[in-house]
Amino acid sequence: MNKSSFKEGIKAALPIVLGYLPVALTFGMLARKAGFTSLEVALMNLFVYAGASQFLAIEMVSKGIAGIPIVIATFFINLRHLLMSSNLSLYFKNTRLPILGLLSAQMTDESYAVAISKLPEVKNRPPYLFGLQIASQLAWVGGSIAGAFFSPVAKSTEWGLPFALPALFICLLVLQIKSTHHFWVMVIAGIFSLLFKWALPGNWYILLTAIFASGVGMLMEMVWRKGQ
Amino acid sequence: MRGSVLGLILGMAVVTYLPRFLPMAFLSRWVLPEKVKMGLGYIPVAILSAIVFPILFSDGGKVGVQPQYLLAALPVFIFAWKVKSLWASVVLGMLIYWGLAFLL
Repeated sequence: MNKSSFKEGIKAALPIVLGYLPVALTFGMLARKAGFTSLEVALMNLFVYAGASQFLAIEMVSKGIAGIPIVIATFFINLRHLLMSSNLSLYFKNTRLPILGLLSAQMTDESYAVAISKLPEVKNRPPYLFGLQIASQLAWVGGSIAGAFFSPVAKSTEWGLPFALPALFICLLVLQIKSTHHFWVMVIAGIFSLLFKWALPGNWYILLTAIFASGVGMLMEMVWRKGQ
Repeated sequence: MRGSVLGLILGMAVVTYLPRFLPMAFLSRWVLPEKVKMGLGYIPVAILSAIVFPILFSDGGKVGVQPQYLLAALPVFIFAWKVKSLWASVVLGMLIYWGLAFLL
């Protein structure tokens, strides 16, 4: 394994780590309140590793709903990774399948978004992506364990912590505006995500917006290329 | 460790893993048509917009306005555009959000 690109990947994860720790602490505390043990919290964060669906799961468990409905809800919440994984696949054409199996297990909204903001470093360099993702996942697992153990002490709504992840996503979005096409796709996606969110249950709006707005982007580029 | 919880975790892990893994496994092996690649190129900006705007324009999970989020977001947008630093944007956003709590 290429050590230097692994280390570079870890460094690139720092903003994610900062964003994950308070959320993971909160998750650990809430999960304990919902009756999960610290070990169960750690295992869920290690193997599921998908924030929104985990919060929903403990919410449902604490309401007495268990098993299949939670698994079905989890599937639909995390279906959005389908498109992120499709996008990342473009940059790992020569990577062996077991390595892709490991890398894709650790893919989250945040690690995906940071990865595509650093494509020259990421492209065909699994150690870099692995460093980025393992550091992020350790923050998620470690933070949740800390939250589970110290559930009465920590208070995660202070020091602007609720805005850490929104600020991260704003910056990552800005980094993606590479042309006027991208700008218009952002405007369209922004408007339609709010419409879809208002009209539809759950978080279907992310998947629908992504398909619709990237389709519009593709059409814009095709029309533009013809006009050239 | 309760068996029912272990089952729940495994079930959630499997259904989360498949959409993460399958496109990576198959699409990386296929030669994609130019149009599909073009569309995939807009996925990042489309997904990030679909994450950011509903965060900024939401009030308790519903579409609405929460001034603290919007007012903190605007300077972060401008700062991120000029400076392009993830770290600094996150810290600035947290500071402004924290400061606004005293003003609003």
